[in-house]
Amino acid sequence: MAEPSIVFTDVNERQGAFHRRAFIMGGVVAFGLFALTGRLASLQIVQGSKYQKLSAANQFNFRLIAPPRGNILDRNGKLIAGNRPSFRVMIEANEVKNIDETLDQLSYILPQTLISRRRILRDINQNQRSVPTIVAQDLSWDDFSRVSLYANDIPGVVADMDWMRAYYYGGAFSHVVGYVSKISDKDMARELAQPDADADLLHHPSFRIGKQGIEKAYDKDLRGVKGGRKVEVDSRGHVVREDPAGSIAPKPGKEIVLTLDADIQQRAIDVFGTESGAAVMMNVHTGEVLCMTSSPGFDPNLFVSGIPSDTYKLLHDYEKNPLLDKALTATFPPGSTFKTMVALAALENGYDPNITHTCNGVFPFGNHVFKCDQHHGTINLHQAIVTSCDVYFYQCALSMGGPDPVARVATKFGLGQIFDIGIDGQKAGLVPTLDWKKKYFEKRNPANMRWWPGETPSFGIGQGYTNVNALQNCVMVSRMANGKKAINPILVKSIDGVDQVSKVVPEDLPFNPEHIAFVHAAMADVVNSGTAAATANLGLGPVKMAGKTGTAQSIGAGGGRTAHGAVGQWDRRDHAWFVAFAPADDPKYGIAVIVQHGGFGAAAAAPKAREIMRTALLKDPDIQKRIVGVNILDAPPPMGDATSTDPDTAAGDATTPAAPPTT
Amino acid sequence: MAESALTRPGQRERYDSKLTQINWVFVGLLVALTGIGILILYSVGGMNWQPWAYKQLITFAACLILMLGLSLLDLRGWLWLAYPVYGISLLLLVAVAVHGSVSHGARRWLDIGPIQIQPSEFMKLAIVLALARFYHDRDAKDANFSLWLMIPLAMIGAPVLLVLKQPDLGTAVLIALTGLTVMILAGLNWRVIAAGAVAIIPAGWVAFKFLMHDYQRKRILTFLNPEGDPSGDGYHILQSKIGIGSGGLLGKGLGLGSQSQLNFLPEKHTDFIMAAVCEELGFIGGFAVLFLYGAIILMALRMAAVSHSHFGKLAAAGATATFALYVLINGAMVMGVFPVVGVPMPLVSFGGSAMLMVMTGFGLVLGVRVHRYQELPKKDSFFSRLFE
Repeated sequence: MAEPSIVFTDVNERQGAFHRRAFIMGGVVAFGLFALTGRLASLQIVQGSKYQKLSAANQFNFRLIAPPRGNILDRNGKLIAGNRPSFRVMIEANEVKNIDETLDQLSYILPQTLISRRRILRDINQNQRSVPTIVAQDLSWDDFSRVSLYANDIPGVVADMDWMRAYYYGGAFSHVVGYVSKISDKDMARELAQPDADADLLHHPSFRIGKQGIEKAYDKDLRGVKGGRKVEVDSRGHVVREDPAGSIAPKPGKEIVLTLDADIQQRAIDVFGTESGAAVMMNVHTGEVLCMTSSPGFDPNLFVSGIPSDTYKLLHDYEKNPLLDKALTATFPPGSTFKTMVALAALENGYDPNITHTCNGVFPFGNHVFKCDQHHGTINLHQAIVTSCDVYFYQCALSMGGPDPVARVATKFGLGQIFDIGIDGQKAGLVPTLDWKKKYFEKRNPANMRWWPGETPSFGIGQGYTNVNALQNCVMVSRMANGKKAINPILVKSIDGVDQVSKVVPEDLPFNPEHIAFVHAAMADVVNSGTAAATANLGLGPVKMAGKTGTAQSIGAGGGRTAHGAVGQWDRRDHAWFVAFAPADDPKYGIAVIVQHGGFGAAAAAPKAREIMRTALLKDPDIQKRIVGVNILDAPPPMGDATSTDPDTAAGDATTPAAPPTT
Repeated sequence: MAESALTRPGQRERYDSKLTQINWVFVGLLVALTGIGILILYSVGGMNWQPWAYKQLITFAACLILMLGLSLLDLRGWLWLAYPVYGISLLLLVAVAVHGSVSHGARRWLDIGPIQIQPSEFMKLAIVLALARFYHDRDAKDANFSLWLMIPLAMIGAPVLLVLKQPDLGTAVLIALTGLTVMILAGLNWRVIAAGAVAIIPAGWVAFKFLMHDYQRKRILTFLNPEGDPSGDGYHILQSKIGIGSGGLLGKGLGLGSQSQLNFLPEKHTDFIMAAVCEELGFIGGFAVLFLYGAIILMALRMAAVSHSHFGKLAAAGATATFALYVLINGAMVMGVFPVVGVPMPLVSFGGSAMLMVMTGFGLVLGVRVHRYQELPKKDSFFSRLFE
């Protein structure tokens, strides 16, 4: 107040305290800054490399590039399954604030997304946040350009081009080549459990997994290896820059070349028309399968982008069962085609082919009367094959005492076996033996464990327990045509340019060549003058076909025939078989055709086999030479001087040495 | 200079001689530091003067002129202004509490016509002036331990509670620590300081349990366990550490910091700008900035110490303490050793009001130095009569 303003002791005390404390404060601040410097050094210098890695992980990102799936080609390089461009629209859920709003905006541009809205929302919820969801694909160019124009204005909507699996032959290869589809939860779990699983690729929206046939069996080969697009992203995941130098190109899937011939395959599915069945054709020397088709087929392209459930239901419920592979999975009684086996077995057991039996349409045995189609009169073994007389073969089979001698031969010819052709779905079928019957009925019905003599006659005509699939019957007739080697079917010619050589060396067929020749001759006469004379004549001059018809009861042996031949309710009609090889004198191709509920083999199956065989023979340059005298490919263009290479005379020349042998 | 000033009475009052008394080295350090800040703002703006660097440059230029102007202001002026400034700031804080505008879930701003003001910023300096003014009249015994201390405690407590209410934990802590620093500098009994330091632990626990808002509690939990919150604040701390660490010794280069340029750094132009500095300029750059801060703070303390008046000493040291607290808290936060609180790096972070307050504070510090020989009489204020 009125005191002097400065009291020195007080001021000095205050000043002293302040100076000491200001000094301490300076020290505290200096220490604090020193500590921060130490922390800075620790972060930047000691742990620098760790944080540099983390920083790079933030900055750079690899966007997966799906590898193109490997092509599947036929033996001549024709593309069966490839990849085609597909314009699509995707939503990146990460970028979208209000999904409903985005879909509303999108539906102005693409009205069709309104219909699939529920599916889109479900997919968005199911997908990982970082995985874009496909809204629409296979857009027309107009739609695509419209979306591309507006996509920038709708956050999270991306329009781009993708590769989609394409099957260029529709239903012709639907079973053997199979198809791909979106990966199911079950497949995903199985695939992820594998040690070399690539989860990124499996989760990629473009990824498809092979579901049947070659696509399934060689899925790993066809998949390829993912690539990566190195991009710089900001904190929200937006791509800021691309770094092409750091990107890794995807490795395309391996190319698979099949032994199949697309022309033959296409012809086969064509000749089946609306009928149900299968055709398998092989080269009798190499075992290469040239044709393996099942009718009706289905369009495998339907499955690639997800088949609508009602479409699938239609396929599934159709009585001709397009989803079933009738070449491998369906087995049928071989019917009279089995007589070739019975005849060869009889000859190998010392049966005299000149023994005659008289057929007047019935054969009473025990308390049962076995029937025959016609009254064949008194005939020998050759005639019995040519006319397919059941009465003769009832007795021929009985002469061997039971099924085992025939079964031994049939097994050597590939019946009842599963072949290593690379793809799944083969059913083994059955050639019954005494042992089999004992084992089979031991548990089920011990009273029926023994082979009853009354079972032998129907066994002799390819009925009863015997069941084969079309591939087996094709192998059977091809081995018969070959005569020396038990050739094995192969389906895959090469993978990625590497020839697939079968590890299995074909066994020798331990049969007397004369007996084989006997069966050959009889089969040739089946086509010349026998059951298939009217329907299986190739019409290719000297090149003839040798074959055997079969008409198999579709209802079990004991069930009786309710719709014989091609009459009556479709699913109770007989199955029509035709097995054949050509040329008859120098076999090259073997074929088996089954027409499910087709009726008579000669009427339903033989004409189809004829057509398919003609296609194969006409494509073969060596056979062409025999038919027209010169290789069409070598022939000069047909001009004014065409008289000098008159095809008639050329064919006539070739006829003489090529006359079929007769027995 | 000082000699000639003493030889000619009245010479010190002349503005031209006052200008020579300004510590120009100190001003140079401030310019250098802000220059580095503007450089980084230019870089994180995408190597562009917009949107931050240019504005910051203009603001700094204006604040620099203001600071130099304030440094010429007679200390009696500051003394006279101390209580009114504090009083007005406190009233504004009350006004904010009553009807401030809300943004980001906190009531911090006051709309006055077209401009918005944040009274808690003013309070950082006002508390220093008011406390200095208070202690100027009190002797060492009062400052050490007496009933008088109720007054500075109340002066600190009132704005702290108001700011906590907004809620703005960072600013409240800053005001409280600034005030306590002035009390300590004024001569608070060491035993009281020690007791207070011990009491902080249970007090902190009580505050954490009962007084804090959820987001504040979360920030502290996140600080204690950053991995527990990889998307929120934990993410920010981690990204900041990645930015700093990846800079290495020499840095990635201006405009080349991926963390800051690609927005992985949160608030890269304000609170987390040190991370951008360290990422792009490396340890060398980070160290240079910390060194500049150290030099500025120590020089400012030295300037405070040379004042002949107790008010000048305390005011200058208090203003320096605010600045130092900013630097230490922000530095520790950016480097992941302190919870995330909204405290900018003074002068380097983008922001006008923080710059204004810091430069005003340094205007005071420079003024204290310019007027260091000025004696200020102890005056009786109404506080003195209160206890007579």
